[in-house]
Amino acid sequence: MSYSTINRLTPYIFLAPALVIMVIALLYPLGYMVFGSFRDWDPSQSIGETSFIGLGNYISLWNDPNFHESLIVTLKFAITVVFVEMIVGVGLALLLDRNLRGMSVLRTMFILPMMIAPVVVGLIWRYMYHPSIGIFNQTLEKIGLGSVDWLGQHALLSVIIADIWQWTPFIFILSLAALQSLPRSALEAARIDGASGWQQIIYIKIPLMMPVLIVTCLLRLIDAFKVLEVILVMTEGGPGLSTEILALRISRTATEFRELGVAAAMSNYLLMLLLILTIIMLAFNKLQEMKAERQRRAVEAEKG
Amino acid sequence: MLATQAFASPYDAYKGTTLVVNFPAHPHYNAVMKILPEFTKETGIEVEVDQLPYLKMRERQTLELGQDEGDYDLIAYVVFSKADYVYADQLENLARYFMNPKLADPNYDADDLIDGYVYNIGFAGGNKGYLEGKTGSLFGVPYGSETSILGYRKDIFDKHGLKVPTNYDELLETACKIPQLEPGMGGLSSRAASGHHASHAFLLHLAPLGGRIFDDQWNPIINNAEGIKAANALKTIVDCGPKGAATFGFGEALGSFLNGDTAMFLDTTVVAGQINDPKKSKVVGKVGWAMHPMGVRRGSQTGGFGIGIPKNAANKEAAFLLMQWLTSKKGDKLVALAGGNPSRFSTHDDADVNKKFPHMRTFGEALKHADPDWRPIIPVWGKINADIGTSLSKVLTEGLDTKVALDGVAERTRKIMQEAGYYTWQ
Amino acid sequence: MAHPDTTYERQHPAFYAVIFTLVFMSVGPIALMFINSFKLDVDIISGTTGLLFLPTIQNYETALCDILPYELDHLDYCSLKFGGAFINSIIITLISTVLTLIIGCMAAYALVRFRFMGRDTVSGTTLMVRMVPPAVLLVPVFGLWNNEFCIGRETWVGEIIRDTFGGRGDVCLAGTHSGIILVYIAMNLPFVIWILQSFIVQVPRQLEEAARMDGAGSFQVFFKVVLPLIKPGLAAAAIFTFRIAWNEYLLASALSDRDTKTVPILIVNNMSEFNVEWGVIMATGMLLAIPPIIFTLFASRQIITGMTAGAVKG
Repeated sequence: MSYSTINRLTPYIFLAPALVIMVIALLYPLGYMVFGSFRDWDPSQSIGETSFIGLGNYISLWNDPNFHESLIVTLKFAITVVFVEMIVGVGLALLLDRNLRGMSVLRTMFILPMMIAPVVVGLIWRYMYHPSIGIFNQTLEKIGLGSVDWLGQHALLSVIIADIWQWTPFIFILSLAALQSLPRSALEAARIDGASGWQQIIYIKIPLMMPVLIVTCLLRLIDAFKVLEVILVMTEGGPGLSTEILALRISRTATEFRELGVAAAMSNYLLMLLLILTIIMLAFNKLQEMKAERQRRAVEAEKG
Repeated sequence: MLATQAFASPYDAYKGTTLVVNFPAHPHYNAVMKILPEFTKETGIEVEVDQLPYLKMRERQTLELGQDEGDYDLIAYVVFSKADYVYADQLENLARYFMNPKLADPNYDADDLIDGYVYNIGFAGGNKGYLEGKTGSLFGVPYGSETSILGYRKDIFDKHGLKVPTNYDELLETACKIPQLEPGMGGLSSRAASGHHASHAFLLHLAPLGGRIFDDQWNPIINNAEGIKAANALKTIVDCGPKGAATFGFGEALGSFLNGDTAMFLDTTVVAGQINDPKKSKVVGKVGWAMHPMGVRRGSQTGGFGIGIPKNAANKEAAFLLMQWLTSKKGDKLVALAGGNPSRFSTHDDADVNKKFPHMRTFGEALKHADPDWRPIIPVWGKINADIGTSLSKVLTEGLDTKVALDGVAERTRKIMQEAGYYTWQ
Repeated sequence: MAHPDTTYERQHPAFYAVIFTLVFMSVGPIALMFINSFKLDVDIISGTTGLLFLPTIQNYETALCDILPYELDHLDYCSLKFGGAFINSIIITLISTVLTLIIGCMAAYALVRFRFMGRDTVSGTTLMVRMVPPAVLLVPVFGLWNNEFCIGRETWVGEIIRDTFGGRGDVCLAGTHSGIILVYIAMNLPFVIWILQSFIVQVPRQLEEAARMDGAGSFQVFFKVVLPLIKPGLAAAAIFTFRIAWNEYLLASALSDRDTKTVPILIVNNMSEFNVEWGVIMATGMLLAIPPIIFTLFASRQIITGMTAGAVKG
């Protein structure tokens, strides 16, 4: 082999291990799943033994009220947590964007909930929500407010609160980083012009942070659709189907009801939803890049 | 192996074998764990136990039994798995083993095993396909037999001069009277959490109140008057129960009784050991036991586990020896003394056992009334069970109308049964 | 980022109250678990929330009974094989983290530094698969690992494996450490590639070219010049990979058998319906949480760098 062939092959050699693994353990399984979603498939069969049923799984899901309910629960969960987390996270970042002692401690402690296992987060909250021995009801009763049926009537709200506890810091840290990398000149100019704190936030800071905020929001939204373990440990999807998010329903359908074909079809519905969100995010990124490029050109043209 | 040893004991040929068994994480099998070393000492057969929560256990077994060669030599299975496993031809028919003179112990005394359980857990192929009958045969042996029984707080009942309920009207009345008499205390703690728990609690009342899931032609009749009565009974019990009752799983329901937050407990006999364990219970010595109250008939649940040998096991004969040892008179008594649930009449009457656990005789009495057909054991049951559980949970927490909920279940059940081919002969 | 030598302006005390409240809210629940893991079940259930109790390590002993050198008086037999699961978790997490980093790093380098056919496709696909939830992988991975990715036990490779490691039936990926490691590498690669790209871009090309002038090949340049310069990025990527592999439950529970269970599986299994033993559960939860907590306390800067790099770039 000549030197130049080796040179041309170099990138592929660097890429090969990653490609092989991603093809074997991500792309092939995804294809396998799409294939399986058109079949009547039970865990004791290998896929070769299953029979083709066309869109059967998709249609029966489409008409299944339980699937609808689960879809609605998922949307309610994802949208609420992201909405609240964005408001609280960004709000706190704006409030605490100043030289304060203890900020590094806060940042460190804030990461903790994100780092520990979802399973553990679930068990901590299941304990705190316990109707009689949990800390919430005990405190409420001590101050005479009576107990709340956390994981019963208010199960969805309760799992939402747990998620907010775990993930608001994510938004906080990202928006704080964005705030601190804003061009000092713009903020200085506003201050000299006599803009009040509020005015600075509304007219300068938020618009400048917007690109980062939107990406953060979409990232968090995609992640919110992946949540599973926390809810599994806290409520197992109940009571009724009130906290049975799609990811949980997929795993129950596969393991408990043993309908792999239906679970595969459900996975595809979820994947399509996420695909749309991802495409929006990528398109948005591209748009930002193009905008930046245009501005750079404009500046250069002015100089020239 | 030396000839002198070969005839010393029937176990010698299998000395040094390691059996891999799959047991649930469950009080009875925790007791079994304590007596297994005794088996190894006596026979030289090692036992490696894979203990899993029982829903998890079923997932694992589905996978293992489906392979050409599985990991497990002996499995404990939940009653309703029987249908799946036998239908898929994954369990050994035990006739071959009980006929084998080198394996079968002549002193086994199979007639001493409690009838209802042998039929409910071990038999398949008889009446309705899943019960005893002229065409049936044995695929497993009951091990860890449970029935439902009413536990009540003697101190509370004495304090207010309450009568121990013997029928359903009295049960419901007492359950709702208690929160008024003892503020902060629930009447009866029942499981009610979405899914398997709610369904189980409902079925517990369905049989005594005269209901069934199917008629003889497999038509769903869960939404008839008896079905609605059972669901309403469950709702009343939960409403008059301890706080948070609508989301109780078994653990929480029992926990609430152990903690003294509830005056009655109507569920499986398996709890007796924990109620008398001062490390876990605050009501030691305060609990009395009575039969499951009667509705239009006696019909306490038949639950628990059976043990069977998978078709794809590697050490089937040694596995049979373990199974026989565990369910023998000796093994049954040992496990009862260790806190398990015996499956033999003789163990329930045994003096030593009764000395240690005075409630054992009442339990034995209750077992005689256990209803082997309190729920259907058919392969599609898992799905129907989940549907019942979800729908009833909605009744309990979201105020869905009982009739509407059960009509929905009946409709969906009919569809499931239709797809599974149960109406082919109609 | 905070500069160590900044002088702090005087701020209203209310801000400190806010910070204190936030720290309390995020650490409180974890501290509660920590405290309860030293309580007996009787103390937990009776609900004395205060700090007045006799601390005991009995819960930890129960959890670790299979690797403790001494017998425990309060247990009849050892049911919770936590020690074994802990070892499995460590093996799986370490191997998958190291491999993900090496493989991911090489791929990221190729994507940043070379122009070649298919580059955009690879880059785009990597981005897209980042959003695939583990739950979606459950069904296909379960099916493939159990039924398709197998070596027949009659083949000579299969025989060698069965003779060396024991076990029965065909040799399948499911139930082995490698099976779980493979999924974790695949799940983490997209993120690692993405995050490392942003660090490699910042490595000055001149350094690489200088090395090349001295006669270093592509691989030498990569290992001797590029890798040392992106250490902070590697640290961040390592922590995130570790976190996912260490904490993951769903796929591990579908793929592991009795010998390859990881800690999260054990915790979920132990919340089984018959005995919710809060003390022991909290102790196992604490043991699982310790490594991430240590990382957070000692490497929070890297974590934050990683988070921002990962998010800002998309």
